[in-house]
Amino acid sequence: MSPRFDRRGEGVVVTLDTNEVELLRAIPGEVRGALEEPSSKDDPVYNRLFPSAYLDPTEESAEREWQELVHPELLQSRLAALDLMTTTLDRAVTKRGRAEVELAPEEVEAWLGVVNDARLALGTRLGVTEDAESEAIEPSDPSAAAHAVYGWLTWFENDLVDTLLG
Amino acid sequence: MSTAPLEVEEPLTDEAIGTDRPWIVIVWNDPVNLMSYVVYVFQKLFGYSREKATRLMLQVHHEGKAAVSEGTREKAEADVSRLHAHGLWATMEHPS
Repeated sequence: MSPRFDRRGEGVVVTLDTNEVELLRAIPGEVRGALEEPSSKDDPVYNRLFPSAYLDPTEESAEREWQELVHPELLQSRLAALDLMTTTLDRAVTKRGRAEVELAPEEVEAWLGVVNDARLALGTRLGVTEDAESEAIEPSDPSAAAHAVYGWLTWFENDLVDTLLG
Repeated sequence: MSTAPLEVEEPLTDEAIGTDRPWIVIVWNDPVNLMSYVVYVFQKLFGYSREKATRLMLQVHHEGKAAVSEGTREKAEADVSRLHAHGLWATMEHPS
């Protein structure tokens, strides 16, 4: 069985298997870890989640001012989305082994943002390429499980966006 | 024939030139963001039609980047932060 998205009014009803609920429950914690400031300035995951605005090195001071201005906001909105995903998953209603979560529009946006951030973090860590789908991962590969999660999240996000685009 | 009034050339500073040229917001291709998601974000943030959002997304995908909006430094900074909030890889530049 696969996750299903049904529009209800302005919101969306998500239907999930219980193991899919468990997978999604683990996502906010994973993303929270990726949002913490790393010890190294060259952390590719952190730099992907919080990129620079200016590429021009002569704009260094504008970049610093911009970061100081927007970083707290960008971080807070991401953390709020993580909390919203956790609390909405808590109110999932299980019927005949399938869990149903009804999401209001802002909750749908939170889920979409969290799932996209999770894919950015995981995809960057795994070094995925645009042809990732055609790359066969051997089951013995130590990153096989992470690749499977990434693939599932990709599929989940794609279905959700298709639902929103109508 | 009258003679042309004498023009005094004032040196233009970078700042003076800069006020006329808009800042450009660039979105860069990356291997993670879904094509459909990028279309969705362009429509949501900029109010672009499906056609325009799709054209820009395809330009990012095929050419590696696309200019998605422009304006004052303040507007470009705001657009970049909104794009970053949605996980898109965006930067801003001032073409010379």
